[in-house]
Amino acid sequence: MATAGKVIKCRAAVAWEPKAPLVMEEIEVAPPQEGEVRIKILYTSLCHTDLFHLLESTDNKGFPTILGHEAAGVVESVGPGVTEFKPGDKVIPNSGCQCRECKFCKSPRTNLCERSWVNDHIEYMSYPKTSFTCRGKPILQFTNTGTLAEYIVIRQIYVVKIDDDAPLDRVCLLGCGVTTGYGAAVNSAGVTPGSVCAVFGLGAVGLAAVMGCKNAGASRIFAVDINEKKFEKAKVFGATDFLNPKAYNKPISEVLIEMTNGGVDFSLECVGNTEVSRLALESCAKGWGLSVLVGYTNTDFSSKPIQLIYGKTWKGTLLGGFKIKDGVPKLVLDYMSGKIMLDEFITQRMKLEQVNDVVKLMKNGECIRCILDMSK
Amino acid sequence: METEGKVIKCKAAVAWEPGKPLSIEDVEVAPPKAHEVRIKMVASGICHTDWTFLHEVGKTMNPQPFPVVLGHEGAGVVESVGPGVTKMAKGDKVIPLVVPQCGQCERCLSPKTNLCSKNWEKTQQCLLADGTSRITCKNQQVHQFIAISTFSEYTVVPEDNVTKIHPDAPLDRVCLLGCGVSTGYGAAVNTGKVESGSTCAVFGLGAVGLAAVMGCKAAGATRIIAVDINSDKFEIAKTFGATEFANPKDHSKPIQEVLRELTNGGVDYALECVGNVGVMRAAVEACSPAGGVCVMVGWTRMGELTLVSEDILLGKTLKGSYFGGWKSVEAVPKLVQEYLSGKILLDEFVTHRLTLDQINEAFDLMITGKSIRTVIQM
Repeated sequence: MATAGKVIKCRAAVAWEPKAPLVMEEIEVAPPQEGEVRIKILYTSLCHTDLFHLLESTDNKGFPTILGHEAAGVVESVGPGVTEFKPGDKVIPNSGCQCRECKFCKSPRTNLCERSWVNDHIEYMSYPKTSFTCRGKPILQFTNTGTLAEYIVIRQIYVVKIDDDAPLDRVCLLGCGVTTGYGAAVNSAGVTPGSVCAVFGLGAVGLAAVMGCKNAGASRIFAVDINEKKFEKAKVFGATDFLNPKAYNKPISEVLIEMTNGGVDFSLECVGNTEVSRLALESCAKGWGLSVLVGYTNTDFSSKPIQLIYGKTWKGTLLGGFKIKDGVPKLVLDYMSGKIMLDEFITQRMKLEQVNDVVKLMKNGECIRCILDMSK
Repeated sequence: METEGKVIKCKAAVAWEPGKPLSIEDVEVAPPKAHEVRIKMVASGICHTDWTFLHEVGKTMNPQPFPVVLGHEGAGVVESVGPGVTKMAKGDKVIPLVVPQCGQCERCLSPKTNLCSKNWEKTQQCLLADGTSRITCKNQQVHQFIAISTFSEYTVVPEDNVTKIHPDAPLDRVCLLGCGVSTGYGAAVNTGKVESGSTCAVFGLGAVGLAAVMGCKAAGATRIIAVDINSDKFEIAKTFGATEFANPKDHSKPIQEVLRELTNGGVDYALECVGNVGVMRAAVEACSPAGGVCVMVGWTRMGELTLVSEDILLGKTLKGSYFGGWKSVEAVPKLVQEYLSGKILLDEFVTHRLTLDQINEAFDLMITGKSIRTVIQM
């Protein structure tokens, strides 16, 4: 290609500092080095983790940065040593990675990879090395991706090749939100047929969790959110019961325990709020209840150990427990064969220049997912 | 026997009020009612929960009913049975159980839990199924700790809280299977599901912790790191299978950091056997982020455990169990068999033997860390 081996100048939405609007800038994207892939991003969407970093960061450690970690595109060029990808391949860049060689990748117990940026740089929410510069200044790549840029460079262990016929404007959602929520239910919780589940928080991740519970054969799925506008969509994805905690004068965990005669079998917290995490754990049945923390937060969680001693289990999930290079291509095929829904998550479509409007919509709970078209 | 159907007068150690030493009293033990069993206690261990109940009210334990006869780790012989009891008869060797197994409720029918829900609320109030107790002293009803009360020469227990064991079982040793040993051992093999070849850390080396070490070894763990602030316990931990020892006081950095360095990232399984929320947090943080499992074994009802959410998000699992996850009525006889066949150790837990009137001395030995288990010969 005409751009191979050269620096590419292109557009990106840069977060110069916390709590400030994103700024459309011209950036420079370096050519891929050994083991790296440069991808032309065609579609991307924002996730609440992006918003969390932008709006809730208490310091400037992870700035300036280019947000975005849910996207799909095509390979523009590859660096030395890359044999798995070639220009033109359809791919989904990922914030998790799979090298296939480390002890974590070889273990069925985890989807962490020893080479992941998560292991050492989580306080920056970025790998320290970046291929982005703007006006001479390096710009971080949020969660090692930074897909609010027309071109990105990431290591091949973070890139997932997908089916040539996959519609990129929909499967980009498998870069994070849908994979996370769906996998939290089917992998991390291991929801069983006939079980009773509760999903806390009905954004894209929560709705994907509802879909996962349904696909796993749950007999009853409680959708819990303080915004009742979300109940209609939850029903589309398979929820059977709908609860607004604000409609009750006691904790929602007590309501669920009463409604289920002892508690749910599985609960999934998809908000990223530690008080909700606590309620989700406490909603579980004594003896066998399992609660999965899905929503991202870096604040501390508290609970009484007696909850665990009485037989409950508490665990979390990163990217739904999927080993990304194995799991994401299968999810793409599941979508193409109708096993999972993606279209139903998309509530808006906009251009990259409208990114601050998307931030606003998400803050106001008026958006499940907005697909940003990166083309000019 | 001439005692059948009659009130028995005997000795018991009564806790009249919180924070005070136990008082050896003459008590009256009523005959068993329907589905109850009266047991002549032969031996009883002393567990930290007994002390906590007595001395930690309002701290790590909710307010509890007094007066009470404590004791929940005992073994004895059936003296008589009430109407409807068919599973055991007088003369049978039995162990009372801290968790019942009715065999009929939803939880008994589930393979995932041992928390029988029958009579749960009454036992937590230290009463029998009909809301009363069978022990009186000076014309006052005395509560029965978790519906058991092994610190009495005779006690009455619901039949679902008793299991019959092998007639050759030495009661002064198998009494430990009533609580501590089963709890620690089961936490490793049932709850944690420790895998062969794994690396484990056990925090706290009392009877429960040592039993957890034994469970990790039985499960085939390759490295078992025993952690305690009292280095005197390391020798006996080795007996039970520990391969390494760490005293937090020997290190200037947090013990979880030490363990992560020792194991190149964290242990596969951590078992907290202290019942302290600070230690629980350290145990969680000592686990490998790649699927590490932390089991809360140590008992605390009121403590608040605070954790970094990211630890859980990245892949650690937290769980806990009560009585090691064993379905009590069917499991304890099997554990007795395992002891008789040499698969599990029990003798090594017994560091002191005392009599009922020396029971306060036994508590002192436990609190000062001088004993693992003291067995009271009734």
